[in-house]
Amino acid sequence: MARKMLADGDLSQTSQEESQYDFDLFVIGAGSGGVRAARFSANYGAKVGICELPFHPISSEVIGGVGGTCVIRGCVPKKILVYGATFGGEIEDARNYGWEVNEKLNFNWKKLLQKKTNEINRLNGIYKRLLSNAGVKSLEGEGKIVGPNSVEVTQLDGTKYSYSAKHILIATGSRAHRLPIPGQELAITSDEALSLDDLPKRAVVLGGGYIAVEFASIWKGLGATVDLFYRKDLPLRGFDDEMRAVVARNLEERGINLHPQTNLTELTKTDSGIKVVTDHGDELIADVVLFATGRLPNSKRLNLEAVGVELDRTGAVKVDEYSRTNIPSIWAVGDVTNRMNLTPVALMEGTCFAKTVFGGESSKPDYSNIPCAVFSIPPLSVVGLSEEQAIEQANGDVLIFTSTFNPMKNTISGRQEKTIMKLVVDAETDKVLGASMCGPDAPEIMQGIAVALKCGATKAQFDSTVGIHPSAAEEFVTMRSVSRRVTAGGKPKTNPE
Amino acid sequence: MVPTCFTASKLSAPTLQTLCRNLSVHLPNTIYSFSRQVSPSTSRFRHHHVRFQRRRLFSIRSKSDNDAEPLREYDFDLFTIGAGSGGVRASRFAANFGASVAVCELPFSTISSETTGGVGGTCVLRGCVPKKLMVYASKYSHEFHESNGFGWKYDTKTKHDWGTLVANKNAELQRLTGIYKNILNNAGVSLIEGRGKIVDPHTVDVDGKLYTARHILISVGGRPFIPKIPGSEYAIDSDAALDLPTKPEKVAIVGGGYIALEFAGIFNGLKSEVHVFIRQKKVLRGFDEEIRDFVGDQMSLRGIKFHTEESPQAIVKSASGSLSLTTNKGTVEGFSHIMFATGRRPNTKNLGLESVGVKTNKNGAIEVDEYLRTTVPSIWAVGDVTDRINLTPVALMEGGALAKTLFQNEPTKPDYRSVPSAVFSQPPIGQVGLTDEQAIKEHGDIDVYTSNFRPLKATLSGLPDRVFMKLIVCAKTNKVLGLHMCGEDSAEIVQGFAVAVKAGLTKVDFDATVGIHPTSAEEFVTMRTPTRKIRQSPESEGKLGIEANATAGV
Repeated sequence: MARKMLADGDLSQTSQEESQYDFDLFVIGAGSGGVRAARFSANYGAKVGICELPFHPISSEVIGGVGGTCVIRGCVPKKILVYGATFGGEIEDARNYGWEVNEKLNFNWKKLLQKKTNEINRLNGIYKRLLSNAGVKSLEGEGKIVGPNSVEVTQLDGTKYSYSAKHILIATGSRAHRLPIPGQELAITSDEALSLDDLPKRAVVLGGGYIAVEFASIWKGLGATVDLFYRKDLPLRGFDDEMRAVVARNLEERGINLHPQTNLTELTKTDSGIKVVTDHGDELIADVVLFATGRLPNSKRLNLEAVGVELDRTGAVKVDEYSRTNIPSIWAVGDVTNRMNLTPVALMEGTCFAKTVFGGESSKPDYSNIPCAVFSIPPLSVVGLSEEQAIEQANGDVLIFTSTFNPMKNTISGRQEKTIMKLVVDAETDKVLGASMCGPDAPEIMQGIAVALKCGATKAQFDSTVGIHPSAAEEFVTMRSVSRRVTAGGKPKTNPE
Repeated sequence: MVPTCFTASKLSAPTLQTLCRNLSVHLPNTIYSFSRQVSPSTSRFRHHHVRFQRRRLFSIRSKSDNDAEPLREYDFDLFTIGAGSGGVRASRFAANFGASVAVCELPFSTISSETTGGVGGTCVLRGCVPKKLMVYASKYSHEFHESNGFGWKYDTKTKHDWGTLVANKNAELQRLTGIYKNILNNAGVSLIEGRGKIVDPHTVDVDGKLYTARHILISVGGRPFIPKIPGSEYAIDSDAALDLPTKPEKVAIVGGGYIALEFAGIFNGLKSEVHVFIRQKKVLRGFDEEIRDFVGDQMSLRGIKFHTEESPQAIVKSASGSLSLTTNKGTVEGFSHIMFATGRRPNTKNLGLESVGVKTNKNGAIEVDEYLRTTVPSIWAVGDVTDRINLTPVALMEGGALAKTLFQNEPTKPDYRSVPSAVFSQPPIGQVGLTDEQAIKEHGDIDVYTSNFRPLKATLSGLPDRVFMKLIVCAKTNKVLGLHMCGEDSAEIVQGFAVAVKAGLTKVDFDATVGIHPTSAEEFVTMRTPTRKIRQSPESEGKLGIEANATAGV
């Protein structure tokens, strides 16, 4: 198959231009999006170079590592700790199933940390091999853009190398952001939280997003006292309100102290720990204070001003629907563009970029019906619209189907925790607009549901699917009666309910 | 909509029948209600009679039925024999549609027999539910192992107390059978305890008492079957295996089907020594070949000993009470228990079927048409007693379809395409749609995508657990024909994909879906390159090969 340089138009120019540049593509940042774009571009026949900062679990301006946030400081280590923490509840549940487990359990944080680090080192190696197997040239150092077609890579020892490239892809991701309050330097971010030397006995988490909720669950599951502070009434702003309430209730029932509508105003170091002061005037002492107060794009040290790449006010690189910046030869994917900050979305963007630029097929990433998961304990997973979004967007009535049930496992374990599932359906077209679930295995269950939603499946198609018995997931295909009907355009306050 | 209400007391039966038939033709969208005279001598029936006045009640009969049958009055619109999954569903739904319904069921016992059963049936009392509870219990030993890799330590070796488990399990079963009784009661269904036997096409005898019904539904299910060999009286079946008073120290399981594998996992997890004897080379005949290999390997790694191509010939009980199993290949001694998981048979004996002319096949299963009707027009059958796809949700589907057909003027055939199912072995299996062999037979050219990986949890636990996933795609239409998985959470994962497969979605649709990271399930939407392409016709090979390359995208 002939390679077509679609973005640059004429095929005949390609061979002449190739010699002008060191690379067809130079990628800055070897995280999920960058590695995917680099590999796929190379597979299409492009000559690709990629640079990444030296490896370290804690990121900074000058430290990163092949694999990026997902592998080193995000999804993977987080999920490992969630697995570790989930055992805490599992072991409690085992007792009523006849298992005689000691009252006092021994959990070795250092062992878990060591094994987590080993796994991340292994994955870091795998990612490096993936790149080299695809024929991508990897460089260690900090990448800067010095012209529309040239980059400069500064190695750890200060040596600088310049490369020219027909296309430059910015895939530098993002980093955790600290709230500027007095004593903020005493707090940690999620980077450090994934690599603490000791398990905190008393942990304070600030933030209501998924990262805050996940760390609260991790530490609680491993036996710490956890206080979670957030500004809103409920955590997880942007998710379905009903599900947010369920998550809050589950966190509370698992023993996390929730402090809604509360901010932290000051941190001070004391002999007994970090003194935390809230805007309600309350004080408490903690071993660890985690700021999970958002992340900011890594766009500062890329020298973007020099070439005129536009940023939005949060510092995110502005791109069009093909991930191209305002400079035609410079593109950006992943968290640095602050669109939908999820690994699989960065992968999709990277894939579409490679297809568009080197695959002869212009491809826009499709942001509809992207499923996602919050690995709280128990987890939440959603795809499509929340009830509120559906009411906002639907032309006609919206039907809400919910199911709240005690999972079978709890009937013997005695755990008091309901699983909740929800389908949001367009009354007129019967199309399922949104699905959500909070309960064990929710993220695994939701993936298949996401395929159905992505393709516009109707409630009738859900109903015609036979259940897998006994599973939790079968509830999604056996929701027979509508829980409520919301009238077209009905804002919650005008809704008769 | 205001239902029109005709009551039997105001109209003579012939008028009523004519009226209803006419109305159902002319006004198909109207909901009518009529009530049939019920036996005034029985107070529990009177309760229904009152309810009928304000509930929509609608009974249709097919034309042949109407023509053939003499006009008469019945105690019930529907009499269901057997209150398991299918029977309860059909009865409840029929009652909700306005029919007067009774269901009879044998007295409760954890062990089924000619004289014992219980409301809830196999699923609730001797199948899905207790089995899954035992699976939960037994899975913990694996989780304890896993947790070691995540830094958890236990001062002493974890022990399991069998008595606690069985007591808690039985308490749960008692609760569930109570719930099922309530469900029937709340739906207005009369529950009669006793053994139902069909006397004529409209009459059921329950322990000497006769009940007449316009329609009779047989939903008596199936029971484990143990082949007669010398010493087979020492063997236990799955009913008994779910209710053992003490832990079996060393157990032989005869059979390679899903029940055998599930119990092998249960006993192994609860620290018994487990030997599985199968006739074939592989477990799970009828399942995807790669899944059969994979699950056998994974179970062996967890300590289960498989004896392949061995057929049982005799069981001998020693003086000490231990059992030995002799097969065509030799004898293994020292078993505390020998369980036979060698199939199930429909409970069709002594139901009076021969006398009324309900036809059964050679296995004793009742033959039904696609609307679940037997060879006798007023007699219907759903669930395991028809021995088609013996799964609870299929019985539920059949029961629901039958209620619609009979009492909602909406003839409904159950749809058996793409029925998903699970095996709760450890690791479990989930599947929907066709196997390789079936797909090739029905569709010719197929592309097969497979993934065999070590899940994130196993990299930390250090255990040899793996996950296997497989997609079978029609090369011509790009439709996903089959989806198979063996590994943790398979049963939960496959349900959503079953919606997609049932809806006839294509591989392109799967690929367009963004993954949920990090999960195992995301692997199903990130399979880019076919593992193999199977082509029947050489001329199509070249053309399709190019297409496949284009869609693979790499």
